[in-house]
Amino acid sequence: MSFFWMVLPALVLFLVFHTIPVLQGIFYSFTDSAGYGAWDFVGLSNYTALFSDERVLSAYLFTFQFALVATILVNGIALALAVGLNGRIRFRNALRGIYFVPNILAILVIGYVFNYLFSNSLPEIASALGIEALSTSILADPELAWVGVLALAVWQAVAFNVIIYLAGLQTVPAELYEAAALDGAGPWRRFRGVTLPMIAGFVVVNTVLSLKNFLQVFDHVVAMTNGGPGTATESISVLIYKGGFQGGEYGYQIANAVVFMAVIALFAVVQFRVMRNRGVSHA
Amino acid sequence: MDQRRSTRARALAAALTAAVLAGCSWHGDQRTTLVFFQFKTEAMQYFKDLAARFEAENPDIRVVVDNVPDAETALRTRLVKGDVPDVLTLNGNGPFGEFASAGVFADFSRDPLLRDVKPAYVEVLRALGAGSPGAVNGIPFSANASGVLYNQDLFAQHGVRVPRTWSELMSVVKAFEAKGIPPFYATRADAWTTLSPLAPLTAQTTAQSFFTERFAGRTTFEQGWREAVDKLGTLFDHTQPNPGGTGYEDGTTAFAQGKSAMLLLGSYAAPQIRSSKPKFTIGNFALPATDDAARTEFVSGVDLLVTAHADGDHPAETRRFIEFLMRPQVVQDYAEAQVAIPALKGLKNQDSVLALADEGRTSGFMDHQFIPAIPLGPLTQQYLIDRDRTRYLRGLDSTWDRVAKRRTWGLGAVRR
Repeated sequence: MSFFWMVLPALVLFLVFHTIPVLQGIFYSFTDSAGYGAWDFVGLSNYTALFSDERVLSAYLFTFQFALVATILVNGIALALAVGLNGRIRFRNALRGIYFVPNILAILVIGYVFNYLFSNSLPEIASALGIEALSTSILADPELAWVGVLALAVWQAVAFNVIIYLAGLQTVPAELYEAAALDGAGPWRRFRGVTLPMIAGFVVVNTVLSLKNFLQVFDHVVAMTNGGPGTATESISVLIYKGGFQGGEYGYQIANAVVFMAVIALFAVVQFRVMRNRGVSHA
Repeated sequence: MDQRRSTRARALAAALTAAVLAGCSWHGDQRTTLVFFQFKTEAMQYFKDLAARFEAENPDIRVVVDNVPDAETALRTRLVKGDVPDVLTLNGNGPFGEFASAGVFADFSRDPLLRDVKPAYVEVLRALGAGSPGAVNGIPFSANASGVLYNQDLFAQHGVRVPRTWSELMSVVKAFEAKGIPPFYATRADAWTTLSPLAPLTAQTTAQSFFTERFAGRTTFEQGWREAVDKLGTLFDHTQPNPGGTGYEDGTTAFAQGKSAMLLLGSYAAPQIRSSKPKFTIGNFALPATDDAARTEFVSGVDLLVTAHADGDHPAETRRFIEFLMRPQVVQDYAEAQVAIPALKGLKNQDSVLALADEGRTSGFMDHQFIPAIPLGPLTQQYLIDRDRTRYLRGLDSTWDRVAKRRTWGLGAVRR
């Protein structure tokens, strides 16, 4: 009984601030509401309009490409760093601390710092060195602006993933490495044959979480490009915010958000299934 | 034991829940509180000081000044929450028209305060949108004049005269380029700044009824805007090298340092420019889009208007505050500090930036007629990068039609 009472505040909070707004949102997705004032029901027309809206489709394309590349990069780099930081190296604890720093900085704050670096410092350095390709701001180039956003996102997200991988690496018993070494396995073979299967669960969790986070990318884009140049780096979250609040198409963008929520949930389930099966077969 | 623990847990849970739900509804102050939503970042301190003066004159009222960046978005999020401020300052633009059409703001059409306002500005507001036919949902406070800002010293030094036609403008451009001075300083990185020259270009090269026709589906951007858009491209061919990464702040600073002869922004940019160089003499001429000097005119809009919540909780106090804000001295002080045209009859601003604007004929900002759901700024920025006119204009047309189809209200002026 007392457990019930202990859970109650959290449950109330969750219902009031999460479940009810979600249901309200779904309700508004069937209206032409601007978020205020009078509105009418429009049935499913918001949803059908979504699929022919180029701006929405290109936002989906951008977001998925971005999330895919970012997830692969973040997990690759984080795993490599974690293996390094788990080894017997000098200043190990200090280095672990330093590598964690990006995680405690607010994305918006470092976003504006990166913005400055990419729009002012980098072009200046590049033109001093005579590198023509980088002498103009890549954030002003519709083809390349996403790379700037990606750099910020990866730099910031690696920190947290390193911590998870480090935790995972500590669960691998040292005997396994000793046995593998006795069998004559080199470092790469030991990593493939021992480390990776043993921390498969952590890889699954990390990739699922990173992908989900990167699909919802928002702050990075706002700080670096604000969706520009043009609409080249508009992610779905940015589009929902801009179209819904700046453009006054609240109902329409809520419908977008509902679809997006379903897509993310579907993605997480599929990914979880696939990766868990592979993880199990490895072990 | 178990029972007691359970009771204690229950009490704690109840307290926590109550605390969370109650929020912070603490009233220690006996005064009536007015929320004053103030959109103009540049005039933040001015309005804060004003609010303090008003509080001193009216000890029974407390004014909470709410200064926000990106005011329209912030206001929309407040409206979604049903939390409308008591008194607001806003820019007289498209979103204002949309809010007004939704009936969010009070009607001032029969208000004596409106009688002292220059009628042209009242009409601008009425045309943007109204909650009911004939309503005026705001009081114009100041206006701006958007043309081309120019460095008067550089013009005098090189013996260049202010152009009145497109050809003359092109000769001015060539004259400065021959001297190695970039004619314009582009601020393309901030997408909205690209609309500043586009507004006079479209106003002068299309018929006045263009937007009415476009709403009715009788014309397209591809037909109507071709000339304007080409000329916009031409202007941006004559900027500083590598214009891509420069934004509003960097551009205004560079202009103040004499790094370009002209800047494609309106009078509203003058305070920003002078912030780095107070004595800088800036001129402002109407951007000529055709070779017919008689068509050359400034684009002017209501830079700041004062309005109130349609059914706020404190109408009497709100009224007192608005009357205070509309005092001629308050309007004049603001206009001088912000380089704006005072909206009250009989008031004038002698600033060099407005010297030509006051008497000249003006047209309204076309982007205020534009459907806000269409990202006109970013799309124009995109065009200036890739220069694909057909893609840009067709894109505008198809987005316009699609948005118009899925929206049943809030398009253009009041339609209900």
